[in-house]
Amino acid sequence: MKVRGRIAAIVMLAVAVVFLSPAVLMVFTAFKSPDEVLNPSSAIPHHWTLENFARTLKYSEEAPFAQWLLNSMLISTSVTFLVLFVSSLTAFAIARLKIKGSGKILAVIVASMMIPGQLFLIPVYLMLGWFHWLDTPLALIVPATAGGFGVFMLTQFMRSIPPSLEEAALIDGCSLWGVYSQICLPLCTPALATLGIFTFIGSWNDFLGPLVFMDSVRNYTLPVGIALYQSSYFTEYGKTLATSVLGTAPLVIVYCIFQKRIISSMATTGLKD
Amino acid sequence: MSSIKSQSRHANLFVVPYGMSFLVFIVCPILFAAALAFTQLDLTSREHLHFVGLDNFREALKDPYFIQATKVTCVYAIMIVPAFVVLSFGLALGLQAMTFGRNAVRGLIFLPGMFNVVVASIIWRWFYDGEFGFFNYLLKRVGIMPIHWLGEKTLALPSIVVMSLWWGLGGATIILLAALQQIPTHLYEAAMIDGATSRRLLTNITIPQMRHVLLFIVVTSTIGAFQVFGQTFMMTNGGPDRSTTGLVQLIYDTAFNKYRLGYAAALSWLLFAMILVVIIVQALLLRRSID
Repeated sequence: MKVRGRIAAIVMLAVAVVFLSPAVLMVFTAFKSPDEVLNPSSAIPHHWTLENFARTLKYSEEAPFAQWLLNSMLISTSVTFLVLFVSSLTAFAIARLKIKGSGKILAVIVASMMIPGQLFLIPVYLMLGWFHWLDTPLALIVPATAGGFGVFMLTQFMRSIPPSLEEAALIDGCSLWGVYSQICLPLCTPALATLGIFTFIGSWNDFLGPLVFMDSVRNYTLPVGIALYQSSYFTEYGKTLATSVLGTAPLVIVYCIFQKRIISSMATTGLKD
Repeated sequence: MSSIKSQSRHANLFVVPYGMSFLVFIVCPILFAAALAFTQLDLTSREHLHFVGLDNFREALKDPYFIQATKVTCVYAIMIVPAFVVLSFGLALGLQAMTFGRNAVRGLIFLPGMFNVVVASIIWRWFYDGEFGFFNYLLKRVGIMPIHWLGEKTLALPSIVVMSLWWGLGGATIILLAALQQIPTHLYEAAMIDGATSRRLLTNITIPQMRHVLLFIVVTSTIGAFQVFGQTFMMTNGGPDRSTTGLVQLIYDTAFNKYRLGYAAALSWLLFAMILVVIIVQALLLRRSID
């Protein structure tokens, strides 16, 4: 068994290299000069240059990269905090206060998660038009709070922690709001962190929403900005890849920091049947 | 909990923010989408929306673009789902068998899943480039003529399948590995005492123990396959000759390039119906073979 384990380890390390190599090649190539990008002699650049990054970051009307980065940051952060707040309030009411029909409410919310997102695209687009929210960050922030995943996940978590602390606080005359904000939320920190990370990543990587709802170049999020910008610089791969590296870096940093939490909560997704 | 319940007059207030959001951005759009599917709403024409009954659905069934996109979507799903399930299961078994470095490899396999569909597509379009691409660079080195991976009608969709596997396998692998680790070891120990081969262990213990998780992976990857959009939009924009235009891309084009919102809403319902039918059939078939 020991030999087989070692063979498996070596094979899987090779697999990991295969999975990683596109990303590594992207990073290396982003540091190459345009000539070397088109006539590569090796994966590693002969002359490391920051030219591609400098050209990406330089402000231009048609590709305000820093503005897109800022938009993405603002939108993803707002979505994350709003989703955490709104979902935890509802989860508290369902799991703790057991409001009337809470079982049915949860069932409806979970059922809504099964509907494919494309179905919402056209009606939401028209509605956002009536609200005059198209081409503003609101179009991407507010509808995100309707997602059911956060409510579902936080309800499950709250049900798993004993309510005795909260009951004691109520007996001592704490208000419901106080119980929610002072006791329940701190107890839910692990679940809130996980939900926060997933919400942030999801919002950051959203493509169809900003593609449809945003109109002017300066209001794009990073993915849409990169997508529409690179289509006009088709074969300038050095520059495009540098843009991609800069656009991915924030998420890879998040991933490296929270890798354990991300993977362990991914792992439990399939186990609830 | 009785004390918490007694204050339930205020309790309902906690649901108000989410409830409003749910009403406005889930319930209303669904009803609205249902109504739209029976209307003609063209943003290009002056005419305001009017009721057309089942015309949109009738048109769809005769629309060569819709038939083509349905074919493309089904072919994509047929190509990717089996590969996705087999490969993620294989990767999970490989990880499980590792004696060292398991967590590091697991982390690296999942890394592509962090990438935005835009970035993932840019990397792979560059790999597939007919002149400067990495794959053609390798081919040239061994003296083979370069291949226009994304420019050939027969190669474009399989090329996108490969990219999507790279992008998506990590998540399923993590889920399957976690399920593998839940299987009680005494099952294997007992079987090994009885002299079972490792192939028998796989078919008689591992796969039966994993059946629910595998069904979950089959169903979720099928749903994902039917909704493919970002990759095709970015890598081929549906081409060449519509060979990679799936249903979501068709809906997007119909709604936001041709501005036929009513027809596009009807197409979205048809897509939803197709997904439902396929996963119900899958679940029934697989359930029967499972139990």
